[in-house]
This record gives sequence, structure tokens and C-alpha cells, in this order.
Amino acid sequence: MATSNEAGPGAGWLQRVLIGRNPKRTVVRIVVLAAVSLIVFRYVLLPVRVDGGSMLPTYRENGVNLVNRLAYLFREPQRGDVVAVRLLAGGHRMYLKRIVAMPGETLVFHGGRILVNGKLLEEPYVKFPCDWEHEPVLVGPDQYYVVGDNRDNQRELHAQGRAPRALILGKVLL
Amino acid sequence: MKEWTIRIILLAALAALGFWAWSVFYPNPEKIIKKRLNEMAKAASHSSDQGLVAQAWTASSLAAYFTPDVEVTLDVPGVHHTFSGRDELMQGALAVRRAGRNLTIRLPDIKVILAPDKTSAEVYVTGEARVSGEKEVFLQELRLRLTKVKRDWLIKQVETVKTLSKGPLAPAT
Repeated sequence: MATSNEAGPGAGWLQRVLIGRNPKRTVVRIVVLAAVSLIVFRYVLLPVRVDGGSMLPTYRENGVNLVNRLAYLFREPQRGDVVAVRLLAGGHRMYLKRIVAMPGETLVFHGGRILVNGKLLEEPYVKFPCDWEHEPVLVGPDQYYVVGDNRDNQRELHAQGRAPRALILGKVLL
Repeated sequence: MKEWTIRIILLAALAALGFWAWSVFYPNPEKIIKKRLNEMAKAASHSSDQGLVAQAWTASSLAAYFTPDVEVTLDVPGVHHTFSGRDELMQGALAVRRAGRNLTIRLPDIKVILAPDKTSAEVYVTGEARVSGEKEVFLQELRLRLTKVKRDWLIKQVETVKTLSKGPLAPAT
């Protein structure tokens, strides 16, 4: 009897911490929180894990980030934005790249520097430069040229190029 | 009122059961293709501790997923090759297995576009390969053409594709 008296207040405290004073209300809160999380993290802020070092040092390998899927709802992507580009087959794997050229522009790599419409593009975020040479590329009317910040590898091995607007999922948040 | 509720619940359960039975007996071609491609990815994966006989056996089991005249065109950095026919493809698969490294292939995304007559399909897949001893995961996008032969979906054509195109785009003249 004495034991149960001692355990009673303890158990009550634990119950209050775990399921609250009103269990029904707690269940409703959990359901609402789960639903809101599902909607937010599926349709608004997409959680992504960075795999690979093509965006170093801006985004380190295995770092976790969020992609804002509503970023381009009322405005178009801008030069310098880091965007998530989904692949042709679906969105479980995607590219994380920076927009360097806009629709209709011509881009060329000369001595590792980017020239857009003949003008040198300042890229303070590039800490690992390259010596890439590339013939001029005309970006189509509904495309953006994207490339990673880490250029310290062969051009052929670095995923870059024109991304159709429809495949740009959103802007990286952090 | 209570009786009506029970009836509605029973009807809903019956409809769900009917839907489930229908999907079991008449499966959606998209689902069949996705399942088959995932099975193929599993068959293409291998571990380095497999013996020669096991290697040959698992490589030959891959053949069941392709038509005899399959054409596989690979255009990736360092490899530009076309495999013509199932036999040549199987030899290539066996050579990869004999390299003696673990290879795990997964297809995280599969997009199926069925032809109107539902006897052929164009499929976009994202292939993910992990090789033992390599830190990086290799991603490759592929376009496959499948054809229905009797009740099986067989791969007739495979080619590498890229979301990001970096070749020069000639302005319209």
C-alpha cells in the first residue's frame, strides 16, 4: 500500500509529461502536427541531404538542407540562386547547383572563368577554381545554366548544363 | 441510423476488397514494369565473394530481362560503347562481375510512359550505383524502351540521358 502511494504521484507526473492532462487533446495535437509536418516537408520545404562535393565549400558533403518549393511561385529564378533540379525520372535524387546564366544568354568558360554574353561573371563563392575551356553555349528561352561551386575536377565529370525551368524544384533555403 | 452506418461500412469494405482483388488479378502495367526493373537492378548487383559459377549464374539470370536484339548505348565520361544483342550485353555483365568488387544498384526513380496500345513503354530511370571502395555514389539517368512479349515486359533499348545538357545549342537559322 505504501509502495503504491509512493508510485502514484510519480506515475501521474510521468503521464502528464508524456500524454498531457487531457489525452484526447494530445492525440488531436499529434494528428494535427503530423499532418502539418507532412504537408510542409513534402510540398513547401523539402528536406535534402547533400551527397557529393560539387557545391563545396558552400555546401559540405552529407549536410542537410531545405529546398523552398514556393520560392519561384511569384518570381523567376535569379542568377546566383542555388537551386534543386530534379532528374527526368523523378524527384528522389536531384542536383544542387547554382544558376550562372539566364534564359537567352550565351555562356562560355574561358580559362576557368565564366563569361556571360561576353562579360566576366564575378563568382566570389568559387574557392576551388578550374581551367575549363568551353565553346559558347546558348541558353534556351525556358532554361537556366547551372553549375556547381566546386570546379576542382574535370569538366566532363562535373554535372552542369542547361536545366529546363520545369525541372527546377525550388531554391535552397540555408 | 445505426443499421445504415453498418451497411455503409460493409459496402465500403466490400468495395475496398473488390478494388484490391482487381489490382491483384489485373495489375497495372506501370506497377509491373517498376517491379520488374527493380528486380533487374537487384539481379545486376553482386558481391565480390561470389564464386565463378555463381557469377555466371546471376549474370545469365539478367538475360531474362532483355530482348535478344537489345541495344544498350552508354555515353558516360570514359565510356562510349554500344552493346548490340543480349549475348554481348551478358558478356559485359560477366566482365563487370569478374572485376571483383561489390556493386549495388538501385533505381530510386522510375517514370513509365505507356504507349496507347499498352504493348510498349518508354521508361526514364535514375540509376544509383555503389561500388565497394568508392566514396562517391554514381548516378546515371537512363531511357529504356520496353516491349511486351507474351506476358513479360522486356527491355529492348537502353541509352544514357542527361537532365543537364551542356552541348552548344545552335541558334535557329
